[in-house]
Amino acid sequence: MKANPSITAKKITFGYGKNNILDELNLEIGKGSFVSIIGPNGSGKSTLLKNITAEFTPQKGVVLLENKDIFKIKKKVLAQNIAVVPQDTGGDFAFSVSETVLMGRMPHQKRFQTDSAKDLEIARWAMELTNVWHLKDRSVHELSGGEKQRVIVARALTQEPTVLLLDEPTSHLDIQHQFELLELLENLNQTKGVTVIAVLHDLNLAAQFSQKIILLNEGKIMAYGPPVQVLTAQNIRESYHIEVAITTNEITDRFNIIPLSKQKDRSDTAQNLKIHLICGGGSGVYLMEQLYQSGYPISCGVLNIGDSDWKKAKDLNIAISEEAPFASISDEALAANQELIHNADLIIVLPVPFGNGNYANLMQVFDALCRENKKVMVVEESESGQRDFTGGKAELLITSMFQHGAVSIKNIRQLLERIGGK
Amino acid sequence: MDVLKNKRNWKYVLIVQTLLLVLIGIFCTTLGPADISFKESAGIILSKVPFFQNWFPADDYSYVHQTIIWSLRMPRIVLAALVGGALGVVGGTLQGFFKNPMADPYVMGVSSGAALGATIAIVSGTAGFLGMMRIPVFSFVGAFLTTWIVYSLARVGQKVVVSALLLSGVALSAFLSAIMSFLMVFNAEEIDKVYLWLMGSFANKNWEHVQISAPFVLIGVVCLLLFAKEMNALVFGDSTAQHLGIDLAKTQIIILIFTSLTTAGAVAVCGSIGFVGLIIPHVVRILVGPDHRILLPLSFLLGGTFLVVTDTFARTFLAPIEIPVGVITAMFGGPFFIYLLKRKKAGL
Repeated sequence: MKANPSITAKKITFGYGKNNILDELNLEIGKGSFVSIIGPNGSGKSTLLKNITAEFTPQKGVVLLENKDIFKIKKKVLAQNIAVVPQDTGGDFAFSVSETVLMGRMPHQKRFQTDSAKDLEIARWAMELTNVWHLKDRSVHELSGGEKQRVIVARALTQEPTVLLLDEPTSHLDIQHQFELLELLENLNQTKGVTVIAVLHDLNLAAQFSQKIILLNEGKIMAYGPPVQVLTAQNIRESYHIEVAITTNEITDRFNIIPLSKQKDRSDTAQNLKIHLICGGGSGVYLMEQLYQSGYPISCGVLNIGDSDWKKAKDLNIAISEEAPFASISDEALAANQELIHNADLIIVLPVPFGNGNYANLMQVFDALCRENKKVMVVEESESGQRDFTGGKAELLITSMFQHGAVSIKNIRQLLERIGGK
Repeated sequence: MDVLKNKRNWKYVLIVQTLLLVLIGIFCTTLGPADISFKESAGIILSKVPFFQNWFPADDYSYVHQTIIWSLRMPRIVLAALVGGALGVVGGTLQGFFKNPMADPYVMGVSSGAALGATIAIVSGTAGFLGMMRIPVFSFVGAFLTTWIVYSLARVGQKVVVSALLLSGVALSAFLSAIMSFLMVFNAEEIDKVYLWLMGSFANKNWEHVQISAPFVLIGVVCLLLFAKEMNALVFGDSTAQHLGIDLAKTQIIILIFTSLTTAGAVAVCGSIGFVGLIIPHVVRILVGPDHRILLPLSFLLGGTFLVVTDTFARTFLAPIEIPVGVITAMFGGPFFIYLLKRKKAGL
């Protein structure tokens, strides 16, 4: 795939007046790939799209379509290869939906040629795919924003392009049609080998559907690669200036990006504080990400192999003490955990259910609190409500921890505020 | 209504409207002080047409009637049809081009340019070089210069910014009108002539005027018709047009050149006739939809018919006093424009 680029941009610079929107940007998009362009407002996404479709002429640099300069390709030939779904769908006059869609055949027709049976068939195919066939006799300007957007997508498909570019195609669509549209694009990409390049606002949709993501920031490509590599909390923080939690979605086997708050101040107070987490069953995923992003040295224990907390810790390369799944904790694991606790300055007990299997963890924390005078925080909030499956032993131990100076914290948000405040 | 909108019926619509224009044209030649029947009038006209001459020998008709029909009334009707058609096509083109239902040749300043050219010709005296071609030639020059200035003002890089085109057209129009008034103040003795010309009239027009106007109008209209498909795409915005494979810069220049050619051809011979370019394409759009492939030819036919009828009305209603036809079209056009504005609010 990589040997055969569909679109190549070489050092393109484009600006209005003196401000450069795009700055010596290089880009190569493989044939048959599905690429999303993301980035904050004003980062140059639409401008990039307009430059690679020959709508704008870059002041410097060249854009190639399959190794040919797009400005040397005849417009009509270009339109047989590249179709664009613009943000502004236009159209104040009362063209019907089918007339509008059939305009997509223009690049394939001679000046006086009328629509052939084949043209009509392709238009129908496109309208059925985009779910607008039932609107075919309606006038475009009386449609809703989402319906209109789908009509324009149908027109683009009618062009039978090898490259399909879309500028925020889902902006007016409801959740059903967002999904349907992206699935349709994915399908075209896989069955017909159409190269899809889409500017998307929704990072989760971008993560779910694209093979590669281009993250634009201030006219430059900040990251370009598979979603996992591009959509990291750090990249998002640096470009969008917000804090996010990235969690693995067990159902889709993809990941979700959840915006949390605007960018936090990251001065050097971080972070000589070593933190050890007692977690499990996913109770620590979010906190691990947050603490990791803030730069705290973290450790975790004892976690069962395969547990979602274990996976997260492995992803983040956090020191852990681990145990085989569904086994009670072995002495080796306990010893390892003891070591981690010993090295930590702060121990956080997350609302994980305690049974006889992991009761030993709690004992270790209690020891550290009493003997080594470690700082301990216990997060109380639990979704299931019950955390004690030891017949009262665990609850008793936690209560006595509080008596020995452990701090009770209501929830993770409050915990982060406490830690951040220090 | 939907019968008309069906693509398969387009050719019948055009054929029927052509026949209607011809019949109405012939009928209008019969109206006037001299009492001539439809049959006689049609015969006289056919006797002048090469092929039909065999069946309708000119000798069958009185010389006086022949003169009235063929030399006085006929050129006037042909010219009205040409000018009405030209204005209809130019109006339809510009409305699509500007994506603005209010556009017509007057908005872009073309007509003002032509009018100023004519004013200069009139106040500087019709004698001298160019003779009776003086007014038309000056109008052409005015129209072309105006279009060129407006176009250069609105051009960014190689492309035209439509909103800038519209605004500079309006501004230049006002400026040119001011110069025109200024010239009129200093040439009070010519003021009546200029006024009459400005109101637009087909009075005293002969075949020579048709010869001046026809080449420009016909070439312009035919060339604009060739770009009907491109205009359809342009309605969806300049970027969409580009995405559909249209060379935007080239198409814009071609459309501007041929609209000003057509407008100049019309305005030069008969002065400013307002509102035809606005009303006709709208009526046609309501009848057959917005597709320029039918909109433009039908606007030509309907515009022609409309102006033939209004001119005949202007000529006969208060005979022997002649009302300038521009007055009649404006009397129809003003209220219609207001109606459009109200309709636009409700969603055009």
